[in-house]
Amino acid sequence: MNRRNFLKALGLGGSASALSACGLDDNRYYTPVEQILPYVVKPESVTPGTPTFFATTITRGPEAHPVLAKHRDGRVVHVGANTRSPWMASIPKGAMLELQKHYSPDRFKGPQANGNSGSTVSWEDGVKQVVDAVAAAKQSGKKIAWLGAYRSGSYASIIASICDTAVFWEPMGYEAEANAAEALFGTRMIPRYDLDDAKYVLSFGADFLNSWGGNRVAGGWSKARSHTHGHHVARFALVSPYRDQTGANADDWYAVKPGSQALVARAVARIVATKTGYAGPALAALGNVDTAAAASAAGIEAAQIEEIAAHFAAGDAVALPGGPAGASGSATELAAATFLLNIVAGSAPKLFSAGGYMAPVGNAADVQALVAALESGSVGVLFVDDCNPVHALPNVNVKDAIAKAGLSVAFTSHPDETTDACKLILPAADAFEDWGDEQPVAGVTLLRQPTMSPLQIRYRPPGAEERVEDGWDVRSAGEVLVAAGRALGVVTQNDWRGYLHARWGMVYKALVLDAATDEAPADDAAAMAPEKDAGFAAWLAGRLQEGFVATTTAMMAPTVTGSIPWQDATPPAGAGQYNLHVTPHAHIRDGRYANSPWAQELPDPMTGQVWDSWVEIHPETAKSLGVSDNSKVTLKSDAGSVDLGVEVTTSVRPDTVAVQLGQGHTNNGRYASNIGVNVAALVGAAKDPQGAMAWQSAKVSVTPSGGKADLISTFGGDTDENRNFAVHVNAKQFGENGDAPQAHGGELTGIHHLELDKRLVENGITDFYSLTQHPTYRFGLTVDTDACNGCGACSIACYAENNLPIVGKEKIKEGREMSWIRVNRYFKGDETHFVPMMCQHCGHAPCESVCPVLATYHNLDGLNAMVYNRCVGTRYCSNACPFSARKFNYHTYVWPEPFNMQLNPDVVTRTMGVMEKCSFCVQRLRAVKSAYKDEAASTEYNAKVPDSALTRLVACAEACPTHALTFGNLNTEDGALNTARKSSRNYMPLDDLNVMSAVNYLAKVSFHAPEAGHHGGGHGGDAGHAGEAGDGHGGSDHGEEKKHDEHGGDAH
Amino acid sequence: MATDVYTSGEPNRPDSYGAANRDIIRVLLKPSVAYLALLATSISVMLFGGWCWYMQIRWGMGVANITHPTMWGVYIVTFVFWVGIGHAGTLISAILFLVRSRWRTGVYRASEAMTVFAVMTALLFPVLHLGRVWQNYWFFPYPNQRQLWMNFKSPLMWDVFAISTYFTVSAIFFYVGLVPDIAIFRDHSKGLVRRIYGLLSLGWRGTHRQWHHYMAAYGFFAALAAPLVLSVHSVVSWDFAMANTAGWHSTIFPPYFVAGAILSGCAMVISLLMPMTYAFNWHKYVNTWHFENLAKMCVLTSAILSYAYGMEYFVGWYSQNPYEQAIFFWRADPSADYGWAFYLMVFCNCLAPLPWYITKVRRNPWALFIIAAIINVGMWMERFNIIVSSLAHNFDPATWWFYWPSWVEWGILAGSAGWFCTWFLLFCKTLPAVAITEIKEMIPPPVKGSLEAK
Repeated sequence: MNRRNFLKALGLGGSASALSACGLDDNRYYTPVEQILPYVVKPESVTPGTPTFFATTITRGPEAHPVLAKHRDGRVVHVGANTRSPWMASIPKGAMLELQKHYSPDRFKGPQANGNSGSTVSWEDGVKQVVDAVAAAKQSGKKIAWLGAYRSGSYASIIASICDTAVFWEPMGYEAEANAAEALFGTRMIPRYDLDDAKYVLSFGADFLNSWGGNRVAGGWSKARSHTHGHHVARFALVSPYRDQTGANADDWYAVKPGSQALVARAVARIVATKTGYAGPALAALGNVDTAAAASAAGIEAAQIEEIAAHFAAGDAVALPGGPAGASGSATELAAATFLLNIVAGSAPKLFSAGGYMAPVGNAADVQALVAALESGSVGVLFVDDCNPVHALPNVNVKDAIAKAGLSVAFTSHPDETTDACKLILPAADAFEDWGDEQPVAGVTLLRQPTMSPLQIRYRPPGAEERVEDGWDVRSAGEVLVAAGRALGVVTQNDWRGYLHARWGMVYKALVLDAATDEAPADDAAAMAPEKDAGFAAWLAGRLQEGFVATTTAMMAPTVTGSIPWQDATPPAGAGQYNLHVTPHAHIRDGRYANSPWAQELPDPMTGQVWDSWVEIHPETAKSLGVSDNSKVTLKSDAGSVDLGVEVTTSVRPDTVAVQLGQGHTNNGRYASNIGVNVAALVGAAKDPQGAMAWQSAKVSVTPSGGKADLISTFGGDTDENRNFAVHVNAKQFGENGDAPQAHGGELTGIHHLELDKRLVENGITDFYSLTQHPTYRFGLTVDTDACNGCGACSIACYAENNLPIVGKEKIKEGREMSWIRVNRYFKGDETHFVPMMCQHCGHAPCESVCPVLATYHNLDGLNAMVYNRCVGTRYCSNACPFSARKFNYHTYVWPEPFNMQLNPDVVTRTMGVMEKCSFCVQRLRAVKSAYKDEAASTEYNAKVPDSALTRLVACAEACPTHALTFGNLNTEDGALNTARKSSRNYMPLDDLNVMSAVNYLAKVSFHAPEAGHHGGGHGGDAGHAGEAGDGHGGSDHGEEKKHDEHGGDAH
Repeated sequence: MATDVYTSGEPNRPDSYGAANRDIIRVLLKPSVAYLALLATSISVMLFGGWCWYMQIRWGMGVANITHPTMWGVYIVTFVFWVGIGHAGTLISAILFLVRSRWRTGVYRASEAMTVFAVMTALLFPVLHLGRVWQNYWFFPYPNQRQLWMNFKSPLMWDVFAISTYFTVSAIFFYVGLVPDIAIFRDHSKGLVRRIYGLLSLGWRGTHRQWHHYMAAYGFFAALAAPLVLSVHSVVSWDFAMANTAGWHSTIFPPYFVAGAILSGCAMVISLLMPMTYAFNWHKYVNTWHFENLAKMCVLTSAILSYAYGMEYFVGWYSQNPYEQAIFFWRADPSADYGWAFYLMVFCNCLAPLPWYITKVRRNPWALFIIAAIINVGMWMERFNIIVSSLAHNFDPATWWFYWPSWVEWGILAGSAGWFCTWFLLFCKTLPAVAITEIKEMIPPPVKGSLEAK
């Protein structure tokens, strides 16, 4: 064959094989063909690829959160805020964790008998057992008892009508507040706090920015800190022996001795009363207290009490109770003292009011009484609902007591230590599957509707019928209760929905029918059963679509009608040397989210600890004990002892050690079991005189047991090493000058809109490579580090939205956590700064230029785009990233079924060897851009999305309870981002590297920051002094001069 | 140790062309047990490294301890180490050839072999440190329907070209030099071996015409290879200098890296040739004259390196760049995570070569061997210091994290040494490790009558 023939043959052969590949034969594609069939009849609410939103309500404790469940292809994949609601328009971490719990592989798959590993029973059998047992109990005169988490609305109503004894109790709950309200105001309720207009917030330990009071209080606080709200910035003082994540945001911390807070509160109240001239009944109720004695009991100066009182008396001050942190032997007194303090200061009802949570709140004493009743054998049926006293009260013999009930029924949907003790488990539908309603505050009813049917895992083998591989057969607890109620003759409706409709019918009657009586009197039938009224269905559909019924949100002034006996300080008692401070885990709380990998994996805001329990010890104490970080110690109290690792921190008094409740489960699912220790073992069963649990009542001895514990913190350094990551401005100056756009913004901020920035062009400072132009969008984010309180909700929302894998403790030890948002915690003197750090989407991204395969590049919208498919995993980008914002997939991580069903179908899951990072939720950006393109009927792809549609678009900004994160378009001249960038508080970490971040930060407002020098707020505090930390940028000095000139020019 | 240590500055010469041939070819005889044991060890270690790599491909990069923010660890450290090693060989074979340095003759072949094998070893690392190693061909500019192209702005891309160029040129240069010597082997062997050597010698007959072309080609390749001595390690240093990471982002890196490369390479040549000389009894060809010169090179480059180390601190201080200052002060903090590594580096690279200023020490084989070994360790530590400590204390203090290699990384590091040694050991026994023809140039040609008498 000569060359010519060879080439001919090659050409023929090549084209023949190419043609066959192109479809000359039957095999059209190389990849296997799967049929995607369109709907024959498309369901109205389903458009493939487009999410549907359902308004519903998620409840944790007395807080109820109106949310929008994002529904895709039959599954809820995300939870967003129901912004229309008048009550708490942001989603808490808890809502996300409930979502993950919903898909937990450990969830009960159906009714079962005899504990967590018992035998399966059918729902019919289960309900029959309950109905029979209830009827038998009624007959034999035995009690029907309820022990569960807080329930309001219709559930509270049906429980009350069925059960003889109903105890609604949660560990670290609100019983002290309820007791105090009952004693002082004659109504058992949890008061309502509206911090929006506060100028001084005095907390006696309540974790009001995280686990206490709900998002509304946290949101109110950030408004009170916001300058746009008026010319003041609220000051936050903490009176507590321990400074938790909430306390870390305090401007002043008075580290008092445990058990002395009530005395301090009363002392403050007396001084305030003198200053305000209050002479009402609250003064008498306060009793006498000597300031000096209170100060000495608290271990602070009397002058400090005077100082607090002076701030408080200045007006618009609100005192928050102690929450779990104040739950000493005088827990109720502390709550009462704060109520009285608010009243004498004149803060009621503007900041503190009576129209709070009105549903029953039980005491630890009630639980103990119920346990006694159980032990005496007088309880015929015990219902247990989403409450785990076996874990929370290890020193009260709950488990054995439950065994003595005639029938113990658990409605809890996930296995825990308490369900294990129950004879029958009827796993209840959770917030995403059930009907219901909640009343978090008087006048607001939040509705719950099923947003998806119970999970099923289906599989269709090739050529065979589809079959259900696995399923979660859950039903509403309401159905069981209605059946029981019918057996007792106290419920007439046939099902739970009927019961709810009857109740909602009354609301309809009050709101619609009665309002219309003037014209046409409602007929009798409608009055008797308004749900049968013709208009009811349409009305209800509308309300369900909105997710709430609001009658009034007026705040009622509390009236002091009673009093409370006062004690002296109630310090912890026992054999040990140190006071034990027990606090709920920042994410797991009292233990309810222990089996949520998100809650376990998210670092503790203050210490960075994950997947464990630890004890926090003051450095002085640590020194005297000869222990350091991660040393193993044994804590021993009169009640019990536990082994823990040490975290040395200045956040606790030297005579006190702090531990987190919530871990140490033995039978709570695969993620919770055998993680950490249950510190409740250290706490006895002590209560205050009113029956509230006294968590802070034990003394412990701390014995180093030698060796190292197994703690792991994701935090690196404790300070920002003066690198401009944590910046503050003086609060006084900020209060005077405000956040308003300043002529002198942050020095280098102008450089960041390069296309708008003439300075560089004029000076010939251009780049070797031309910069990407952003004709329509330059997406960016503003992070207000003053509003950020470190809760970590953004991070969890990001996990949920972007399918971030959970890596577990062993991998975190290797530095493998995948969170795209790192909430950095820096100490700056006594201040704690929380600085959420994510990809900064730099205009001059160091990562982009080093990637050898162009897997990361800058796109037209200003995003630093990451092409997972193209990444080969050199990890050079991560080395180059000065913010260390990139995360690497060291392994291919898996989601155990059915966690995978929660995965966001809009976001691909990544495999090993690929770099990833914050994408600014590019999938949401695409969706909103498409939507606006359709709306504008524009032929142009980039029909501009207004800023208002972007502000809370990204998952983190949506989830932030304090709106610390604001998303937007930098090309919108007067948009939120540009306004923020002109703020006197604006700063950009590592600005001097000229990376031109799309993310800017607003400095923390500090009452302790030094006052800034000469030219006004523009260069106030440290903000804007990027060059101070860095080597400055070549053009900055010049640019500043120019700005001066421009400013001068304006003046002319 | 040795009695034939020569002190006058000139090597012993073999008696004749025939003696030279015999001395070199003698090595090819039946391998000793010690050699086989050494080879078996090298191959085992190499295979262990291969297994470690398999584990890494199977389970992901997570089996290595590279972590956030220290995304480069032992692999890149070792990559730079091996690339650096290569440089001495090219320096000796090309630059010293061009400047007609006579002492090069005895050592250049082994050094050049070392270069080729070191670059082959170095080439492993950019591949095996990839998260998705199976996509490594994406580094190359090949036409494809997806219109994918590489990023020529990336220093890693420059690396691909620099290293592949370096490998190509040094391999060709090595081979060209070998041709006349292989022909000698061919002439002295029979059977299959003769056929193989015959193929490899490309029909070399030693004609005048062949010598004429050969010398031109050799000179040409020497000229081509010479700038690579400076350029390749400069490009490698840009992997760091072009990234803005503090501790990396420095204009002094290219000369600093080149000096380091030559230091490490010369030390490695001493480490390799010293045992070879004794094992093969080649004292006539490689002896104190060569080692002393290599030691002098080391002393010079060590001084440059010490200056560079000092200059990093000066630049850090003078620039008032807080990030740079922080990283350098942290590196030198004895109580910090990697303080020991810094002081080990300073000891090995700056202090350990100092005794070589003393002629006696420079001529003592034990002193030469031990100090060279110390320098080898020190040069690995230098790269460890630069890469790991800079990343571990990156810009954001909140991300600071400790990196320490896992057994997989140590295994791959050992495996790379096994891979290198395997090649080198095979080379010793199959190819002339001393350039026979060039040695002959130093011997008076076997002619009737004395040329010198004329």
